[in-house]
Amino acid sequence: MNSSAVHRLLVILGRVVVLLVILLGAELGVRSGVMSRLFFSSPTEIVAALQAQMADGSFLPNVGITAFETLLGLVAGSLAGMAVGLILPQMRLVANVFEPFLMVLNGIPVIVIAPLFILWLGLGLASKVGISVYIVFFTMFIPVYTASLRLDRTFVDALRVMGASRSQIFWKVIVPSSLPSVYTGLKIGSGLALIGAVIGEFVASRAGLGHMILYASGTLDTPSLYLGIITIAIFAAALSFAIDAMGRLLVHYRFSDEK
Amino acid sequence: MLEFRNISFSFPGRRGAIDVLRDVSFTCGQDEIVAVIGPSGCGKSTLLSLATGLRTPTSGDVFIDGKAVKGADLRIGMLFQQNTLLPWRSVVENVELGLEIRGEPKEARRKRALDLMQQYGLAGFDRKYPHVLSGGMQKRAALAQTLAIEPSVLLLDEPFAALDAQTRIVIQNDVVKTCRARKRTMLIVTHDIAEALAMADRVVVLSRRPAQVKEVYEVSFSREAASVADAPAMPGFAEYYRRIWHALDISITGAAA
Repeated sequence: MNSSAVHRLLVILGRVVVLLVILLGAELGVRSGVMSRLFFSSPTEIVAALQAQMADGSFLPNVGITAFETLLGLVAGSLAGMAVGLILPQMRLVANVFEPFLMVLNGIPVIVIAPLFILWLGLGLASKVGISVYIVFFTMFIPVYTASLRLDRTFVDALRVMGASRSQIFWKVIVPSSLPSVYTGLKIGSGLALIGAVIGEFVASRAGLGHMILYASGTLDTPSLYLGIITIAIFAAALSFAIDAMGRLLVHYRFSDEK
Repeated sequence: MLEFRNISFSFPGRRGAIDVLRDVSFTCGQDEIVAVIGPSGCGKSTLLSLATGLRTPTSGDVFIDGKAVKGADLRIGMLFQQNTLLPWRSVVENVELGLEIRGEPKEARRKRALDLMQQYGLAGFDRKYPHVLSGGMQKRAALAQTLAIEPSVLLLDEPFAALDAQTRIVIQNDVVKTCRARKRTMLIVTHDIAEALAMADRVVVLSRRPAQVKEVYEVSFSREAASVADAPAMPGFAEYYRRIWHALDISITGAAA
């Protein structure tokens, strides 16, 4: 076995050990009474909470609702951010008029604007999706917009000399050159889409993981609180992993100045 | 044939219009290579952008084969100083880009692109992306892309400035041979006197801004040199070099008097 394979094995082994220490420490700490049950939960208690919620049929719908809000927010917000980020730079006058308004809107913290979305769109799914779309829009719009503004004019000139029409330049140069920024937007946006959905659920909701966490916190149901946090962490990690895999398909080239 | 007839170009500046070109006239015939040389910032590149139709002259006209240029012109191919290969397209997709824009069917344009790549020493690189090519190969790919559309006029805007000295000579030679073999009209803008003399039949020297045609030199040995690399050894090269340098009127400050 060569040294890099040994290294990789040690890394995986180390990670398993760290995980086991955390799980075992929490289990023993809580059982022995060293760690208070009010603030901490043992893994077995968390699994019991999961079983109870599965039994009463609330767990999967809660996960499903939050996942749905997040994904819908991510897709719709990204598409809108991409469209505006790509098209706006093609219309200088409109872009210059709208730029300060967009910047101010982007500056509003999402937690501040969330109650407005609840007011407009109600307690259900729509308001959470709306909040998610709102944050994701800007995380996608800003990198795509700046990339289109900074686009190397030589590419555009070269295509114009070849007789390309405006729409050919848009599809053959402007859109593909924005893909690295789209990837950046998706990567940051995926985390923020989840935050948007959960914040919406915190402000006012009847279901979802955010609702479950808030309810558990209010009723001092610590194991359910941990269950919610762990579920969200796993969902966020899976989403980020999926985006990374997609990114490799989206950006299969490197820019020549990144040699 | 490419003709500049009484071309003037100015653009609005903070204190009135800035004159870039003033009454520039010269022609570049079929099967002829003309080099335009001038002091830095004199408007050489502007002249090319007027020929491509990317810009419109303030007065005067550019004619290609007797027809005035209005907007982007399909009879023109241009090789830029910067790398214009699109990084998200493979080399062959870049070479066929001009044909794709013209709506050439996929199979025909792919075949034509592969043929040209073969011809310019790029065989086997068709599926690679531009960033893996050396500077010289990128330039050759750009040349293949430009030639794919069979332009009747070839414009070169200091295209070899970024190449190392040896690669530059090889590519200059490729370009000259291509242009001669296909009997094309070629106009190259440069500020390298040796490059102008090694490649061109005629050297047009522009003055400082507002640029006017200051001198025109017919290069006597242009078709006699076996290759671009042999040009400096041709009789008269040193004398042309000296005269063009003086015509450029560049002062070398700090030089011992």
